[in-house]
Amino acid sequence: MTYFIDSLIAALALIMSFDSHIYRIVATSVSISLIASLIAAILAVPAGVFMALNRFHGKAFIQHLLNTLMAMPTVVIGLLLYGLFSRLGPLGHWGLLYTPIAVIIAEAILIFPIMMNLTITAVNSADPRLKPTLISLGAGHLSLAINVIRVTRFAILAAIITGFGRAIGEVGAAMMLGGNIEGFTRTMTTAIALETSKGEFELGLALGLLLLIIAFVLNFLLSWLHRPKP
Amino acid sequence: MTNAYVLNDIKVIHQQRCVLDIPHFTIPSGKCIALLGENGAGKSTLMNLLAFTERPRHGSIQLFDQKIAGKLNSSQRRRIGVVSQQPYLLAGSVTDNIRLALKLQHIESSQYPILIEQALEQLNLSQLKDQSAQSLSGGELKRAAIARAIAYDPDILLLDEPFSHLDQRHIRQLENAIQSFAKQTNKTVIFSTHDQPQGLAIADETLNLHAGKITAAPLFNLFHGALNQHNFNTGKLIIHAASDLPNARHIAIDPREIIISRQPLESSMRNSFNGHVILIAQEKNAIRLTIDCEERFQVIISPESLTQLNLALGDAVWLSFKSTAVTVF
Repeated sequence: MTYFIDSLIAALALIMSFDSHIYRIVATSVSISLIASLIAAILAVPAGVFMALNRFHGKAFIQHLLNTLMAMPTVVIGLLLYGLFSRLGPLGHWGLLYTPIAVIIAEAILIFPIMMNLTITAVNSADPRLKPTLISLGAGHLSLAINVIRVTRFAILAAIITGFGRAIGEVGAAMMLGGNIEGFTRTMTTAIALETSKGEFELGLALGLLLLIIAFVLNFLLSWLHRPKP
Repeated sequence: MTNAYVLNDIKVIHQQRCVLDIPHFTIPSGKCIALLGENGAGKSTLMNLLAFTERPRHGSIQLFDQKIAGKLNSSQRRRIGVVSQQPYLLAGSVTDNIRLALKLQHIESSQYPILIEQALEQLNLSQLKDQSAQSLSGGELKRAAIARAIAYDPDILLLDEPFSHLDQRHIRQLENAIQSFAKQTNKTVIFSTHDQPQGLAIADETLNLHAGKITAAPLFNLFHGALNQHNFNTGKLIIHAASDLPNARHIAIDPREIIISRQPLESSMRNSFNGHVILIAQEKNAIRLTIDCEERFQVIISPESLTQLNLALGDAVWLSFKSTAVTVF
């Protein structure tokens, strides 16, 4: 117990001393997750809005596929991309393995189905009169989508935040594709996993606490977005 | 005169049931038309077809003599204003909602202020222009939705059950708004209602729908039953009809063809029933009575007749009508 309490005190001291090593890891983690979330959102939000607003052949199949992908273990995505980006893989000559770009790609793929599915839910839970009203007022395909996004913006923002939360807490793919290179691809989760195994428990605990704070802030944002409207 | 709509060989099937069957029908432009029918008669389906938000399984619809094959193009869409039974206003003020409609119709932004003001004035909404759409009452919301639909000056205004769930004051305001839009040159207004006297009061023409079919019969005093040698049995009353259509299942009696008296009349009229007054309502320039004689009859009389007969609720009366006033179908 003393070991844990001593480590916790040391971890808090590390956080309070604004240790550059720790905050570099946090910055890497946040920037990689933010870029991955941005890329995933740019693709997933329009795709989700299109899917929710239109009826087409294969829609049910895509929905099943999205549900399956949401449950896919992150190490499986890491494994597949490792196969593609490794020196002998088909995209090996791009030299992406053990770079932040590889981690960003993996995290974007990981959170795309989450964001798309939650966007579909957001649009579907809007008032059923919204779409026919906009069409009867003269909305074409693009203006319909833009106005639906405008009306459901808070729920869509919640979808993006949920995706970001998933990305920042991801460890499997980040480890396999990033390689935990300090100042380059070392994220909070990979650092916690690897540094703790090297005996740097205080550092792991400090990063864990910061990750919890980020998770708390994200959850606070989500509940603020979902607060009952007056 | 051009036609706003020409419907040919229309069939709409919902869950293997034909809900609308119109072999041919023309709606001339510049008219205010009430679409009458009971619940489930196919009014909303027909309104959806006219708004081009639903496609018929079979048949074609022409809009201003142009056959519409797929979706409406933007200039065609601009000719139709639609207000649904339960209109939806987006978050924001009444003005924001009208502005959105103008934007979606690709109208030049320099015209927004004047068009918004006109629409608000026409619906007597100027005082509520900055009010949040979410805080409007039922009647205000319907008027705001109509203002939004007419702001871009469509040639046709479609209103699905505009008077439902409104109190008398709001109904009067809406009636005036619809009539003021309809008075403009070449504007076509089509509104559906199950309140037939009201439809008759403000429309130039009525379009009667019964079980998915357009019928020439006025849908007042509509009774279901069986006809046997000019005698129509409703189950409660035997009503004499002039025509003897085989397989006829329904009759309708024009409420203005029914005569009310305190005593039984000695006349050539074949139908005479006694009952009592259960409702007296004021319509535009007319009085609507509901008389219970086993079956309930709607009767329209003038305000002068009401005064002359000195009628009150519960009074015993006789109603009489000719067998030629009975439409069999």
